[in-house]
Amino acid sequence: MALRLSGNRLGFGPEHIYGKLPPVSLIVDAISKRFGDVVALDGVSFSVEPGRIFGLLGANGAGKTTSMRIVLDILRADAGTVTWQGTPNTELPRRTWGYLPEERGLYPRMLVGEQLRFFASLYGIPDDRARSEIDDWLERFRIPEHRERKVEQLSKGNQQKIQFIASILHDPDVLIMDEPFSGLDPVNVRLLKEAFLEMKQRGKTLIFSTHQMEQVEELCESIAIVDRGRVIVSGALRDVKRDMGRQVVRLATDGDGRGVEWLEQIPGIELTARREDYVELHVPADRDPDTILRAALERGDRVTRFEIADPSLEEIFVEHVGRRAVDESEEHLAASRREGSA
Amino acid sequence: MSLLPNALHVARREYLFRVRGRAFLITTALLAVAIVAVTMVPTILGAIGIADPPHVAVDVQADDISTDPVLTIQTALIIGADPTADPSAPPADDERARVTRTDDPEAADASVRDGELDGLLTISRDADEDLVFEYLGSASPTNRTRLLVTQAASAIAIADRMERAGVDPRDSAEIFQPPNFTAVPVDPDDPRDEEDFGGAFILAYAVVILTFMAILTYGNWVAQSVAEEKSGRVMELLITAATPRQLLTGKVLGTGAAGLTQYVAIVVAAVVGLLVNGPVSEALGVAGELPFSLPAVPPLDLLAFGVFFLLGFILYSTLYAAAGSMVSRIEDVQQAVGPLIFLAMAGYFASFTALNDPDAGWVGVLSLVPFFSPYLMPARMLLTNVSAGEVLLAIVLLLVTLVAAIWLASRVYSAGVLLYGQRAGIRTIWRATRVAR
Repeated sequence: MALRLSGNRLGFGPEHIYGKLPPVSLIVDAISKRFGDVVALDGVSFSVEPGRIFGLLGANGAGKTTSMRIVLDILRADAGTVTWQGTPNTELPRRTWGYLPEERGLYPRMLVGEQLRFFASLYGIPDDRARSEIDDWLERFRIPEHRERKVEQLSKGNQQKIQFIASILHDPDVLIMDEPFSGLDPVNVRLLKEAFLEMKQRGKTLIFSTHQMEQVEELCESIAIVDRGRVIVSGALRDVKRDMGRQVVRLATDGDGRGVEWLEQIPGIELTARREDYVELHVPADRDPDTILRAALERGDRVTRFEIADPSLEEIFVEHVGRRAVDESEEHLAASRREGSA
Repeated sequence: MSLLPNALHVARREYLFRVRGRAFLITTALLAVAIVAVTMVPTILGAIGIADPPHVAVDVQADDISTDPVLTIQTALIIGADPTADPSAPPADDERARVTRTDDPEAADASVRDGELDGLLTISRDADEDLVFEYLGSASPTNRTRLLVTQAASAIAIADRMERAGVDPRDSAEIFQPPNFTAVPVDPDDPRDEEDFGGAFILAYAVVILTFMAILTYGNWVAQSVAEEKSGRVMELLITAATPRQLLTGKVLGTGAAGLTQYVAIVVAAVVGLLVNGPVSEALGVAGELPFSLPAVPPLDLLAFGVFFLLGFILYSTLYAAAGSMVSRIEDVQQAVGPLIFLAMAGYFASFTALNDPDAGWVGVLSLVPFFSPYLMPARMLLTNVSAGEVLLAIVLLLVTLVAAIWLASRVYSAGVLLYGQRAGIRTIWRATRVAR
């Protein structure tokens, strides 16, 4: 299939390059949305190849949720289009999409099994198929005993699993998840990640938004960073990292505490972090990191660690969106958790 | 997207959730018991002795009265209890009212204070020879026995004055004869005849009250349940799975069916109560007849009542759903449905005025206006002669309004369900409806 041959550049930046994209992708093209005087989205474009996992990053209020709602056609954009496999989203059946909203919510006083069957029925799933699917998924999430319990009797983590099951029971082509990992403990994060990979193996396309960069690094093949209603970076994760134009070097030496000031003498190199047992340096792309190793050895130090890496996604995010936005979004997140139950 | 399968799924969930709830079961049971009790009030009152016939003692100190005050008072009391009684010859010991002459005012006084007697009437003459009445009994000016005794007293006093003025007692009896009075209806087909009118009146009240209660109670259920889905955030899942129109329709149908279930339980209880009231009172040996009989309503009219009830209920519920979708918190529901309650109340109070004057021109006009016709048209149909054309026109207008309301409500709903935290003013909603799907 053409899409497999089209290279690993999955997304695209402001320079539209439609010609190179397979027509079966999810293509979000220049969508804009205002709420009164507030511009929520200002020409957001990105694309996701089928069968891939895509990360949508951005501070709170950047426009992630609005973008998702427009893709799902529960909100209409003021301008721009969304197409999936060449069909506008306004003409697609609802069962194309599975959606896990950021704000979790189920009927608190309904039984888990009954509730899941209700949602399956809205997507036209026959009841016997829904029952067996529900049993499978409850088993997979290790909570089969919760089927005959009321949702309000479940822990938050388990409620979230139920909600995830509700969003995929109808076997959607595209799964859109808004902050799927927030509020989950590490064990449940693991289970959810496994479920993601399972969906990917079934050929589903996954889009999720998150604040947790390590999840994106682990799962996503391509990303878009959204800030104040605009896409500022997008594309394959590897390309995004390469495009930063630098590498990260981590160095640890057995230099009897003689300090690392000498590193700053090397032109172009920036000392970015001084940890207990190593230092981190930014090295411009046009400079060979080996010069640092050589310099350290020449000084007679014993090198215990030397590592060349791409910049982390967090660094990229901070550099593009700014430290301010990260702090704000964390504060906001904490505040919304406190209010959460109110 | 087609409306039906999903609207029915939503309606089914809503119905089962409502009907299985403990609150629903308890309320329905209490209402049914209350209704049975109400229909059996005469029997119950008879059984526990509250409906004892009035018993009044008369102490006649002015002994030169030509009419028999005991007989006059007894006649007044009997006619007051049973307007169809023959006024000319009450038997001396009629069970419906007891009036006795007493020569021992102190003992009678004590009996009144003990509650054995309802009242003691003392008749004497003042210095001008005019009769003076003194009634010892209930303090309430609206006490029935006291009112009837007062009427009888004035009759006695007038007869006495006429006699003192020289009118022969036989002539005065003639003077008191009611005139020959015949009411000729303008419309000879008018269904109201005197026997049925009391029953028709009560039925009209019942229809108005039942319609109003359904709109207020079940409409509120709809708004509450929409607001619950929104504040519990399950709405985002719903709106992804189904269209606003499917959700709105399902919600109204499901809640309506649950409300109707409750209503059927109440109506069945009322019919059972009415049916067993007679046999039970007979078995207990107490007077327990209902003071009216229900008129026979033609089946086509009953059908029309059903149509008005359902259409009116759906119209209001649809708008209640839209109102519920505009608020973020359940506490704000009452504020959002305020205008609808006001509209429903306006129709309710208008129909109470209309029941007393069903032929008035404004009643005719208002009974065609969609938000009021569900109350007013059935009431008019029961109390006056309404042409089939008028009834059909009212139904058509109601249907047209309903279609418009569903359109408007699903716009408001689809915009409202995703608005959180904003004060949902008319302007916000209007802006939102223009961009919603």
